[in-house]
Amino acid sequence: MERGGAVEHGKVVAALRRALPATKWLVYGVGTGLLSLFTVVVMIPVMVACLLGIPLVRPGVFILRTVAEWERTRLRGMGQPVASPYGPLPRTLREAVTDPSVRRDLLWLPLHGVLGTVVCLFGAQLPVSAVRELLFPLWWQLVPPSEAAALNGLVHVDSWGQAWLVAATGPVWFALWLVIGPRIARFHARHSARLLAPSPGVDMSARITQLTATRAAALDAHAVELRRIERALHDGAQNRLVGVAMLTGAARQAIKRDPAAADQILERVQDAAESALAELRSVVRGILPPILENRGLEGALTALASDCAVNCSVEVDIPVRCPASVEATAYFTVAEALTNVSKHSDATTASVTVRRVGDRLLIQVDDDGRGGADPAQGSGLDGILRRVAACDGDTRILSPLGGPTTIEVTLPCGLLSPKMTRC
Amino acid sequence: MRVVIAEDDALLREGLALVLGTEGMTVVAATADAEEFLAAVAEHRPDVAVLDVRMPPTHTDEGIRAAVAARQAQPGLPVLVLSAYVEQSFATDLLGAGTRGVGYLLKERVGRVSEFIAALRRVADGGTAIDPEVVAQLFSRRRGTDRLGALSPREREVLAVMAEGLGNTAIGSRLFISESAVHKHIRSIFAKLELSPDDQTDRRVAAVLRYLDGTRD
Repeated sequence: MERGGAVEHGKVVAALRRALPATKWLVYGVGTGLLSLFTVVVMIPVMVACLLGIPLVRPGVFILRTVAEWERTRLRGMGQPVASPYGPLPRTLREAVTDPSVRRDLLWLPLHGVLGTVVCLFGAQLPVSAVRELLFPLWWQLVPPSEAAALNGLVHVDSWGQAWLVAATGPVWFALWLVIGPRIARFHARHSARLLAPSPGVDMSARITQLTATRAAALDAHAVELRRIERALHDGAQNRLVGVAMLTGAARQAIKRDPAAADQILERVQDAAESALAELRSVVRGILPPILENRGLEGALTALASDCAVNCSVEVDIPVRCPASVEATAYFTVAEALTNVSKHSDATTASVTVRRVGDRLLIQVDDDGRGGADPAQGSGLDGILRRVAACDGDTRILSPLGGPTTIEVTLPCGLLSPKMTRC
Repeated sequence: MRVVIAEDDALLREGLALVLGTEGMTVVAATADAEEFLAAVAEHRPDVAVLDVRMPPTHTDEGIRAAVAARQAQPGLPVLVLSAYVEQSFATDLLGAGTRGVGYLLKERVGRVSEFIAALRRVADGGTAIDPEVVAQLFSRRRGTDRLGALSPREREVLAVMAEGLGNTAIGSRLFISESAVHKHIRSIFAKLELSPDDQTDRRVAAVLRYLDGTRD
């Protein structure tokens, strides 16, 4: 029973960890939704003015794009990245009408403003309802009788019995929040992303620019990685092996004259050969950690956490395995982040969370240390940024002075396919 | 013979000192970077200097630059440069300022102690010692592209061994041919490379340099 209780507890904590950020994004969604609704009201006279020949096309499209970009920023934050489809601002009404991004944005605006706002509002108020109803017996007599209502004002309450009944619905709201809150957020984000994505086949230039930059970053990261490996091999294993050759020569010289001295030299030859092997192992581990192959990402990250000088929890929620390069990057990111935690943060606890959301792998490493982590300072963070960018991923580092530090990495890991299901 | 060493890796520095010491040479200073090396050369005025190419701070060609600087400060100082891998531009940089008393060998040759010591003595006496690997790369790269292409395969072999710094007798025994045959090949090489006998320069050195120069496209 004890163990069952612990498992239940763990599940609730995991559900809370999903529901809290989901609620945050839903609140933001209500924000962009209300803004969209307001913009609809603004756009109607602007459109009429444009039809009458008053030159409001540029400011009109500018406002439209700004609002849509805010929603895209929100979606990116949720791990649902949407490429911006925009070219230069249209100058004439004809240009604006023929621009597919303008048409798509104009379709999205009222949908998000009305339906989006309702959906987000419903999701965002679930925890509020949970608390409100739970505490109902404490406040229902303090408000005017017309306000003493449950279920968002649908049911009037005028007796203590009913009040306790309402309080009993509190946990139900709470459970609803935990279970459907994140789903509502995801549902809304998926549809919003679909509407805001560039129309297929058109407006790919921005995406191509992005891919070109990513590819350059990949090649650059590749070159840096090769240089690192070359340096590691040269300064490590190769030098040790040259030492083996050199000392073997010295031992052969000595063996006739002074066998005891030759034996001493041979002992150093052995040391050098052993350390060459150790160097080779560490280089190989840096290229593709064998533990990833043997124990999967979860096992590999758990091993990293147990090596960490700071007490570190690991939570991995990946229903299917990701491509090897993505796992290697995730492993590298967590290894670098935890090395920083051990070396620089003065933290007492750290946590690693890895989740797969759709075709993205979300990695988050938190610590309660003193913050102030800066990639420009030459720590491993710079390496993380480069390696993640090479995989077309995003890195966010939140590390105010005084702490805490959060590193969030999003990696695209391709569509779920049965072939990649290995566990 | 008094030697100054420059090698940043502690194990190799000690190994080198051990090999030289056992062969009766005196290591007057074993240094770990170019700056220390130049100071030691100025202080001890050694008979020969042995140094590594890659040293701190940038781990690129500090050793080559230090060798060139040391030869400017102390003209005629014999230097033997050791490298973990073959890089022709290093060899040409090094030999560009004169080939007398210059050597460029792969590090692991130190393990073949008697050959290494022979090469070191040759350099100390003002000769040349170029690693066979370097020579082999020059041949494979330059073949058929210029006058060197006119050489017969046997002449190329002779020139390769000559480039390592060996004398006629040693060349003959390495290639299993008589000394007079070596003479004949070398005359032919000089003719094909248009190195006339009344030239004031050392024709052997000039022939080797022609290869090395050929790499500076």
